[in-house]
Amino acid sequence: MRDRGSAFLMAPALAWLAGLMVVPCALVLALAFFRRGLYGGIDWTFTLENLALVFDPLYGGILLNSARIAGLVALIAAVAGYAAAFAIVSRPRHWQPVLLFLAVLPFWSNYLIRTYAWIVLLNREGLIVQAARWLGRDGALPQMLYTEGAVIAGLVYAYLPFVILACYAPLSRLPRDLAEASRDLGGSGFTTFRRITLPLTLPGLAVGAVFVFVLSVGNFVTPALLGGGQFQMVGTLVYAQFLTAGDWPFGAALAMVLMAVMMLLLVAQTWVAERGTGGRRDA
Amino acid sequence: MRPVVEIEGVVRRFGSVTAVDGVSLAIAEGAFFALLGASGSGKTTLLRMLAGFEMPDAGRILLDGADITRTPPNRRPVNLMFQSYALFPHMTVAQNVAYGLEMERRPRAEIRARVAEMLETVQLLPLAGRRPDQLSGGQRQRVALARALVKRPRVLLLDEPLGALDAKLRGQMQLELKRLQHEVGITFIVVTHDQDEALVMADRIAILRAGRLEQVGTPREVYESPATRYAADFIGQMNFLPGHALPGGLRLPDGGLVRVAGEGPVQGEAVAAVRPERIRLGPGENTLTGTVRALAYHGLDLQLQVETPAAAEPVTLRLTAGEAETAPGIGERVTLGWAARDTRIFPA
Repeated sequence: MRDRGSAFLMAPALAWLAGLMVVPCALVLALAFFRRGLYGGIDWTFTLENLALVFDPLYGGILLNSARIAGLVALIAAVAGYAAAFAIVSRPRHWQPVLLFLAVLPFWSNYLIRTYAWIVLLNREGLIVQAARWLGRDGALPQMLYTEGAVIAGLVYAYLPFVILACYAPLSRLPRDLAEASRDLGGSGFTTFRRITLPLTLPGLAVGAVFVFVLSVGNFVTPALLGGGQFQMVGTLVYAQFLTAGDWPFGAALAMVLMAVMMLLLVAQTWVAERGTGGRRDA
Repeated sequence: MRPVVEIEGVVRRFGSVTAVDGVSLAIAEGAFFALLGASGSGKTTLLRMLAGFEMPDAGRILLDGADITRTPPNRRPVNLMFQSYALFPHMTVAQNVAYGLEMERRPRAEIRARVAEMLETVQLLPLAGRRPDQLSGGQRQRVALARALVKRPRVLLLDEPLGALDAKLRGQMQLELKRLQHEVGITFIVVTHDQDEALVMADRIAILRAGRLEQVGTPREVYESPATRYAADFIGQMNFLPGHALPGGLRLPDGGLVRVAGEGPVQGEAVAAVRPERIRLGPGENTLTGTVRALAYHGLDLQLQVETPAAAEPVTLRLTAGEAETAPGIGERVTLGWAARDTRIFPA
């Protein structure tokens, strides 16, 4: 009875996802197993060449570099976001929704506009350079725009609110008396954080970090705009295959590997989170 | 002998509210001391100041004669058992109990031995590997107790230790806590709003009201000789008869006289107070007549509510099981009597 009821409630969402996402995605991904035709067409003969090409040193290197950058972004966002969420939770209760709203505010503006704002900030005649010039120190500034640093900064900025939100929930739900109990039993503030607060909120942090990684590794707007034409990440590479190189099969193969990596990460994260919640149902 | 805990004129304010308002107490070594009060009486704030989670705005707290007013909670040889138990959900029972000893950087072997010994004492050794969410309420309560006691604190603070348990288990645990306290010989300070609990467990009770001490004494003292009308009302059941005080007694509105032994006001508005179990059917030194309005059977006793012309509120009396056999029915006229020495008088 209950099973049928919940199946009925899930049906619209399931149909939507299956019909409008899974099927089209599968169709595009299936292209990975066929040859590239002349002039951007598809030659319908089965091949594994496209998948093999993904692991070619040239493209494999881009994949690894993307993973490295996304990992760095996830790490920076995790540390900064957790700290911010921790700070928000330690403010008085009635201030917390306000602070949280402010942290999430950038989400309400267009992603492109926000990324362009970074260009305004970082470019050769940008705000930072002008400010440095006004202070008489512009000679000391290195190139900022179109660097890996700019891409990392832009991605951290874009996805930091995810981590803050993901960490805020478990931190604010954590009963205050657990930390007090640790202090009472002789734990210092740091020990209490390391042994009680952090382990109990780690699943939230993991959700945030994995999301940031997944969103960053496949991102193509930020690397394209802040990394410049020379800078390649998997996202920009997929984008190029589909829209400029006209090699849909190779683009599909790249996307398939990317998706597999993301899925693996999400499954691992869910598994860790499930194990973590084993002991915290109603204590 | 010097008291283990001395509280000297402690005050704690939250904004415009004074939660604890100049409390001074001395608690003897080995005592089972209860801080009893309604919610908002300041009892939990007082306990949290003893644990180090709140700082007094004025006054001092001494432990073994040393000022610990500003000592942080992790440096006090005092442990608190939280009302919620606050067990670490990601640790097993044994890990929870070991935590406090690990903080003291005790050798591994010693920790293992003391944890096992403690779990044995609270009869939880077979459950050492369980997580808190796999335990019943009563078992969690014992883990919380073991976790605090294993550190052998100078004083164990207990915040509503039995509040989360059902009535039957609570009765058992009251005696169990008392037995355990006797066994370990540690001073217990327990916060409770339940006067029965305080009477059963404690050997001394402090009644708090709006941040001030109302009375401090043994359970017998606070029950038999309540110092104030509030204390008389808060502990146990009490009949109050309003009237005018005069030397040796109180004049009721209907002209009757209630004789009172002992001190109290001798003029002005006042109330005479008598416990339901002190009233018998039939005339006594003090006598009232009235009509039975309600009967309530409680197993051990039968409670009668009698309406009298002397007071607006009906008078309650308790008949023991034997007397209940011949109890009057609803609507019957009865005479109630009790002794002058069982009567107290308080200003209205």
